[in-house]
Order: sequence, then C-alpha cells, then structure tokens
Amino acid sequence: MGLIQRMIEEEGISTISMGNEPERMARIKPPRALQVKFGRGSMFGEPGNVSRQRRILLDAFDALQTITEPGEIRKLPYQWKRPDRPDMTDYQ
Amino acid sequence: MPIDLEQFKTAYEKWVEESMSDFQAGKMVEILKKYPSIIPGDIPWMPYTGKPSEQTFALITSAGLYLKDSQPAFDTLSIHGDPSIREIPKDVQQEEIGIVHGHYDHSLVEQDINIIFPIHRLMELENDGIIGKTADTHYSCSYVNNVAPLATEAVPKMISGIKAEEVDVVLLVPV
Repeated sequence: MGLIQRMIEEEGISTISMGNEPERMARIKPPRALQVKFGRGSMFGEPGNVSRQRRILLDAFDALQTITEPGEIRKLPYQWKRPDRPDMTDYQ
Repeated sequence: MPIDLEQFKTAYEKWVEESMSDFQAGKMVEILKKYPSIIPGDIPWMPYTGKPSEQTFALITSAGLYLKDSQPAFDTLSIHGDPSIREIPKDVQQEEIGIVHGHYDHSLVEQDINIIFPIHRLMELENDGIIGKTADTHYSCSYVNNVAPLATEAVPKMISGIKAEEVDVVLLVPV
C-alpha cells in the first residue's frame, strides 16, 4: 500500500493512509497517515461502531487539511481490542 | 515511479529463492523480515487544497475484497501474492463481498466491511454534505509480494480510473 500511495500522490492526487504499526509506517514513509491502536484487519475499530468509524473519517479529513509537512503521521487515541483475541498481533 | 524497479526485481528474485522453503513451511514472519523493501528517502507530496465538502473521495484497501458473484478471487497460494486489483462499486452491500487474503483473520470484516473499507460511512458523509461526493468506483488489492506487475500494470490502470472520475482525495486502508 505504501507503493500505491506514493504512485497516486506522484500523479498529483492528495492521499492519506492508515496504519497500526509504527515501525512499519516509519519504514514505508507515507505522505500523510493516521496511526491507530486497533489490531490487524480492523483499522476502524470494532464492527458496527458507526460513530467511531465516522469519527475516524472526520479525523482523516482534519489531518488532510492541517498536515503541511510530507511524512507526518498523526496518532489517534481510540482503543479497542478484540475480546476473543486481545493479544493478536501481526500475522498471527 | 517511486521505486527503482530493476533494483527491486534483482533483490526480489534473490528473496524468492532464499524464502521458498520458509514460505512453504508457513513462516510468514520470517520471510517478511527479509523482504526487499525498496523505499526511497524522498516522500512524494501533493499539497491538499480545497474543501472536503466540495470534493470527491475514493477508497483503496488491501483487505482482499472482491465481488463474489462477478469477479475472480485473489491468488493466495503463490509466494508472489496476487498483483491484481478489483473495482468495488460505491453501492456495494456487505453480502456481495468476498474476502481472500491469506495473512489476516477476516472474521471481523465479514461482520462489517466498514472496519477496513468504510464505504457506507463515506456515503453517509456525502448525504450529510460533509464531503462532496463518494466516487462511483473504489478498489481492493490483496496480499502481494511481487510489486513489479502491480506497479507497471494494475496501479497505472487504477490511477487512470481515479482520474477519469475526477477524484480529489484517496484514502488508503491496509490490513
């Protein structure tokens, strides 16, 4: 996704991406990004939480309008862990 | 092109050769540690201008989404992954979506695609006048290691579609 984001931005279209692993995001260096605390496979948190999903999109629009330096990653505070797999991490 | 494809291809061929036995043993973490990520230091930048309420938005996810009744699934058996991209229409319904991606647990997305592909939230924001328009077409890829054909074929075709719909902003959501 890092490559795709770069290719789109290079074509003159503003982009913003999401991520949940700071080390991976630092390596990929997206033009703009939101960092969340949710586990793999649920960047917008728990299923069915409409207000949170909406809130994160509004945060993305805010980040679009206020990030002025290439590569800024904005951290969001929201937290949720899967009740069935609270310690789930990458590739488990 | 944000990466040197020739440099990538050379490093990638070596990685495939060295990783095949671990791949066949399912040691994904091990092979990804050695994956030849070639990301240059500079960051492409298109300054954002305008207002969301007057603009068109599109989504891209790497969650492996496809339309079960009309599109082929992604290849999950090859070490190369699948370098193709599926077009997902804005009026897609949860039950129309299939998910093929070998390296994350799909069970939550099967309950609500919006946690990785917030298309219904985007439509609501359009209805509320917070964004101008949800693009007619959105996109999903899946797990892919061989990014060369992705970068030379699938992504340029997708970008042509994005431009044809006069999309102003793209939101990318990986898994």
